[in-house]
Amino acid sequence: MSDTPLLDQLETGPWPSFIADLKRMAAKKPQIKDLLGQLERSYEEKITHWKHGGIVGVLGYGSGIIGRYSDLPDDFPGLEHFHTMRINQPSGWFYTTAALRMLCDIWDQYGSGVMNMHGSTGDIIFLGTTTDNLEPCFQALARNGFDIGGSGSAMRSPSCCCGLSRCEWSCYDTMEACYDITQEFQFELHRPGFPYKFKFKFSGCPNDCVAAVARADCSVIGVWKDDIRIDQAAVKAYAGGELKPKGGGAHVDKLDIQKDVVDLCPTQCMSWDGSTLKINNRECNHCMHCINLMPQALRPGTDKGATILLGSHAPILEGAQMSWVIVPFMRMEKPFDELKELGANIMEWWTENGKNRERVGELILRLGMREFCLAVGLDPVPQSIKTPRCNPFFFWHPEDFEAEAEGKTYIKL
Amino acid sequence: MADSVSKEELVESIYQEVAKVQGKKQLKAGDLTKLMIKKYGDAVSKNDVKFAIKELIDSGRCVYTYFGGSFIELPHEEGAAKHI
Amino acid sequence: MAEDRITDIGPPHYEQFLPPVIKANYGKWKYHEIPRPGVLKHVSESGDELYTVRCGAGRLLTTDYVREVCDIADKFCDGHVRWTSRNNIEFLTPKKENVEPLIAAIKAQGWPVGGTGHAVTSIVHTQGWIHCHTPAIDASGIVKSVMDDLFEYFGEHRLPAQVRISLACCLNMCGAVHCSDIAILGIHRTPPKIFHDKLRHVCEIPTTIAACPTGAIRPHPDKSIKSVVVNEERCMYCGNCYTMCPAMPLFDPDKGGVALLIGGKVSNAKHPPMFSRLGVPYLPNNPPRWPEVCQAIRKILLAYVNGANKWERLGEWITRIGWSRFFEICDIPFTFQHIDDYKWAYDTYNTSMHFKF
Repeated sequence: MSDTPLLDQLETGPWPSFIADLKRMAAKKPQIKDLLGQLERSYEEKITHWKHGGIVGVLGYGSGIIGRYSDLPDDFPGLEHFHTMRINQPSGWFYTTAALRMLCDIWDQYGSGVMNMHGSTGDIIFLGTTTDNLEPCFQALARNGFDIGGSGSAMRSPSCCCGLSRCEWSCYDTMEACYDITQEFQFELHRPGFPYKFKFKFSGCPNDCVAAVARADCSVIGVWKDDIRIDQAAVKAYAGGELKPKGGGAHVDKLDIQKDVVDLCPTQCMSWDGSTLKINNRECNHCMHCINLMPQALRPGTDKGATILLGSHAPILEGAQMSWVIVPFMRMEKPFDELKELGANIMEWWTENGKNRERVGELILRLGMREFCLAVGLDPVPQSIKTPRCNPFFFWHPEDFEAEAEGKTYIKL
Repeated sequence: MADSVSKEELVESIYQEVAKVQGKKQLKAGDLTKLMIKKYGDAVSKNDVKFAIKELIDSGRCVYTYFGGSFIELPHEEGAAKHI
Repeated sequence: MAEDRITDIGPPHYEQFLPPVIKANYGKWKYHEIPRPGVLKHVSESGDELYTVRCGAGRLLTTDYVREVCDIADKFCDGHVRWTSRNNIEFLTPKKENVEPLIAAIKAQGWPVGGTGHAVTSIVHTQGWIHCHTPAIDASGIVKSVMDDLFEYFGEHRLPAQVRISLACCLNMCGAVHCSDIAILGIHRTPPKIFHDKLRHVCEIPTTIAACPTGAIRPHPDKSIKSVVVNEERCMYCGNCYTMCPAMPLFDPDKGGVALLIGGKVSNAKHPPMFSRLGVPYLPNNPPRWPEVCQAIRKILLAYVNGANKWERLGEWITRIGWSRFFEICDIPFTFQHIDDYKWAYDTYNTSMHFKF
């Protein structure tokens, strides 16, 4: 009779089985036998058996270690202390096998051998070790070039899409921006000094493969300002069916340029006469639909940079928010000074004014966009709103009257 | 310019604030910064406090904790670690 | 502190991990194709080609598993491999002739190839019962069950558009699943239970009270009992009190369960990014295979496949037909839970005559 009859039922089926994988490890590590035992207990009882640990860490850091204690330590002694370590991933999640084997060797030596590739924020997650192993594991990693990632009320490990490394649509070097910003804010990443978490995510284009708009306080999404590059011969090849929509990634084999591309353009800025595709680029809102459908015919322009959006977070506490536009276009060239300065200003204003567990997006709603923009040095821009207000409760400040005295008007007549 | 405050004094002052409320109230780095600026005025900057906190943590006299938010506390055995 | 201690080095620079063909063509990629499900072909301005074989995986892996990934990458990809933002493993090689043997080696390992284009790709998820202290549900077990059930959609481009499924095991959503085509969300439905005898040994009362985001916790009215009480009407089941105080678990094995939120996306293509909206307010927490969750997701997915126009994401389809029609098609009874009564509820009320019977 198996010790884990419920978990055993997850060994069948075509998708890779984490239970089969864990069982191999259980043969080598007694704590994994306990882990399976406790998980089986959770499957029987339909409740978790973990307690949160809020104090364990490595000396000097307040981030990157999440304490875990089993509430069944007598039954599963290998889990009495079973802490998580977050390891800051390399940009774009690229590895050599030499680096991966090194990480595996270290984690086999100092921990459970169980990991996540990767956690929700992007870090490599090492699941399960004792308090005593935290420091030697950290230093073994550091000697091999890896550092611990963020957690708590700190800068979290920034993450990015693969950008220029393998995507023709990326409008800036997401991987270098992610690396550079991560290095710039090392103090803030390891030593929690914010009201709550702060995330940067870098997507190269408006397809937003790292879900920056939904999951990053500061979402940096690539964009272009000039004309979409068109290869008219390739457009004809799509029309004729020689080239397949989405490079072959769709459920249909042939594009109808009028119906599939032109009619679905949200700004109606395109036309197709059967031989030439025309785009009124000034009216394009760079949604990416046409480019997604015809990757061999259309490409973003060459005058490229990023839009900075701010404020997204999961629903806790006021309700989910998506980031909104605060800077419609920023040039994204190394060393990214403009973004670093803006980021530092935002963090300073939020740290000064935010309450415990208040994300920056929630603080802006509480104190107002005007106060935020003035504090970090941003002008009002129409790209930051969907619509202007519909209420008459707008207020005037002495600066407004001073500007009027100097000739400011609100419509040019 | 007001008289400057020595780093040792600042570190000790932060430690005392943490010790005073241990178990009753959890202070964040931002709370400690505000308390120090209130106490010393222009004689300390946010940056002074930031590095004083680093020194306090590096010495092991205080630790970062995480209970929904991150705080600075005296090292102690937490409830979850107790075998009850 | 030891003198030779290393801190604050940050992550290693990515460049040392890039395959030579990527270093040579960084920023020079011209276009890509998906010659078959799970295989990407990128072509550079220089004419160089890069082949990527995408392999589905759970995010919970052992070092044994990762070493097997390394063995394949060593054999066919000169030791280069990456992970995607959705937990897929990508094997990278400039050699076209390596693609078929690479796929064969991955399949021999029992791993699936797919997850590209109009497919259901790997589910991003949180920890669940394997390592989290506030989950209502497991994560890896539900993900495995749902992906087994939808397996036919992983390896083929059969859907009107891509479908992104995500799972978070409690409303804190450390996985931030709130803009997914289908979000599987663990829900608690009852306030924490308080173990008064234990509480005084393991919890600080003032800090526990302060931890509640809605101010629902106060000292026990009987001063001789050193504990707290919860105003149950105010409790939103977030579990932050349990994070602070292990004597206040909020788990109820019979009442906890799963909600499905539907129709979100992050891409800007056609429609702007959209939040996922409550589709199914409750499904039972039924390990080890969660059959009700799998059936509900399949039902919604099939309704979408049958009803959506070409290129329509799930949320775009629902926006076109209207939520009332969606509930009707999917046999989902409409409940008070579907009507928002939290902070920005008004934004969701219908103030027009644009509705259907």
